[in-house]
Amino acid sequence: MVDGACLELVGKHETSREGEAEAERALIRRAQRGDRSAFDTLVRLYDQEVLRMTLRMVRSEEEAQDLYQEVFLKVYRSLGRFRLESRFSTWLYRVVTNVCFDHLRQQKSRSELPARAGADGELDYAQALADDRPGLNPEQALRAREISRRLEVALRQLSPRERMVFELKHCQGMKLRAIGELCGTSEEAAKNSLFRAVQKLRQDLSDLV
Amino acid sequence: MNCDDLEKTSSLYLYDELRAEDRAAFETHLASCAGCRTRLEEARRLHRVLSECPQPEPTPELLVRCRQALDEALDREQLGWRGLLRGWMWQFGAAPAPRLAAVLTLLLFGFGLGWTLRPRARSLAPLTLSGTTSPFGASDLGDVRIRHISEVAPDPQSGGVRITLDAERRVTLEGSLDDPRIRQVLVDTVRGYDNPGIRRDTLDALRTHRDNPSVRAALLYALRHDANAGVRLEALKTVRGMQWGPDVHQALLGALEHDANPGVRVAAVDALVEHAVEEGENETVMPVLLKLAASDQNPYVRLQCLAAVRKMEGNEQ
Ligand SMILES: [Zn+2]
Repeated sequence: MVDGACLELVGKHETSREGEAEAERALIRRAQRGDRSAFDTLVRLYDQEVLRMTLRMVRSEEEAQDLYQEVFLKVYRSLGRFRLESRFSTWLYRVVTNVCFDHLRQQKSRSELPARAGADGELDYAQALADDRPGLNPEQALRAREISRRLEVALRQLSPRERMVFELKHCQGMKLRAIGELCGTSEEAAKNSLFRAVQKLRQDLSDLV
Repeated sequence: MNCDDLEKTSSLYLYDELRAEDRAAFETHLASCAGCRTRLEEARRLHRVLSECPQPEPTPELLVRCRQALDEALDREQLGWRGLLRGWMWQFGAAPAPRLAAVLTLLLFGFGLGWTLRPRARSLAPLTLSGTTSPFGASDLGDVRIRHISEVAPDPQSGGVRITLDAERRVTLEGSLDDPRIRQVLVDTVRGYDNPGIRRDTLDALRTHRDNPSVRAALLYALRHDANAGVRLEALKTVRGMQWGPDVHQALLGALEHDANPGVRVAAVDALVEHAVEEGENETVMPVLLKLAASDQNPYVRLQCLAAVRKMEGNEQ
C-alpha cells in the first residue's frame, strides 16, 4: 500500500541537497515579490503531490480540482507571510491539510444523512479506478471494485479528523508524528483518531475480511 | 501489556508505529495469548483488504485541467484589487523582464478610486494612456496584467494620481493556419510556452496542418521533450495521423523506450504496432517490444507489449 510516491512526500526534502534548498528559497523570494513565473515554477514543483493528496482525501476528480485551486490561491495570497527559515513543503502540506479538513467538515455538515453514499454517480470514480488496474483476473477485478465501493462508503462515515488521519497514514504512508504536526494536533491525538477510524472501518467492512 | 492494550495498539503495530519497547511488550503478550493472536490476525486481514484497494492516482489530463484553471484564477487574482495592492507593496522588488511589456501611465482621478481598481470597474474613468494615440477606456484594463509599479504620484492640485507601471496587454490574433505568422506563433507556443493546457490546445489547433514541415518538427519535439505527460500524449495522437516517415518512427520508438509515463508508452506501442501490421515491417519494433515485455517496470506496459508481440507474430504467419 505504501508506494514509493507516498514515501517521497515525507523524504523528498530531507534528502535534497542544500543547493536545491537554496534555489527553492530564491524562487520563493522572487514569488514573494510578485514574480508570477517564479510562483508558477514553485507550483510545478509540488502540484502533482498536492493533487494526489487532495484526490485521495476526497476521491472525486472534480472536488480534488477545486481543492487544488483553493490550496494554491491560499498559498499565493499568503506567501508574503511565509518565513524563509521554515520549510516550504511543510507549510504547503499544512495548507493542503487545512483546506481538505475544512472541505470534509463542510461536506459532513451538509449531508448528515449517508444518502449520497448510495447515489450511482458517486461511485463511478471508484469503479473506473478498479476497472483500470492491469494484471488482475476478472474475479480479482470484481472484488477490488467491490472493496473500493465499500471503502468509499465506509470512509464517509468517519469524522473529518479520522478520515484525514487515516488517509494520510494509509494512503500517504506518513508517520503519525508528522500527521499530528500537519493537522495541528499531537501524535497521541492522531493515534486515537487512527484507532477510531480503523475500528469503524472494521465494523463496516467486517463481511469482506 | 494486557489484552485491552493490545486491542488498542494493534493498528499501530501493523503500521509499524510502536516504539521499540512497546513493540517488544506487544510481541511478548502475543506469544502467550491465543485470543490476542486471533484478534491480531483479524486486524491483519482488514489491513490486507484495505491494501488491496487501489489508490486514486491523478491522471495527466486532470493535472492539465487543474493547472489551466489555476492559471486563469491567478490571472483574475492579479488583475483584481488584491493584485494591485500586492503590486504596490512589492514595488521595491525587482520585476522580471516582461516579454510583451508596455509602459503605461494611467491617470486616475480621485486617489481612493485606485483601491477599487478592478477590470471593467464602471466608476473608473477617465484614463489616458501615454504613448498611444487611442483613448484608453476603463474596460481596456481587463486586458492588462500589471507586472510592476514603478511610481505612484498623487497630484494634490487635481486630486488625481499618476501611476507608472509595466503591464502586459492581452492581444487577440485571428487568422488562418495557412498564414505562416500564425503558424509561427503556434509552433513557438508548442515548443516553449509554460502553460501545458495552452500547449495542448495549440497541438489541437495545429492538427490540420501537421504535415507542414515546421509544424511537423514542433509536434515531434513536443512528443519527445514536453515536460507534461498529457501534452506528450496529445502530441503522440497527432503524430499518429501524420504521414509516416523515419522521423515519426524514431520519435515513437523513443517514446516507447524512454517516456517516463506508462500511458504514453502504451500509446506508442499501439501506434507502432498498427503501422507495423499494416506495412508488414517489424524488424525494428519487435526487439524493443520483446525487451519491454520482459523488463518494463509497469506491469500493464509489459502486458501490452506482450499482446503486441503476439499480434505481430500472428500477422507474420
Ligand atoms: Zn491477550
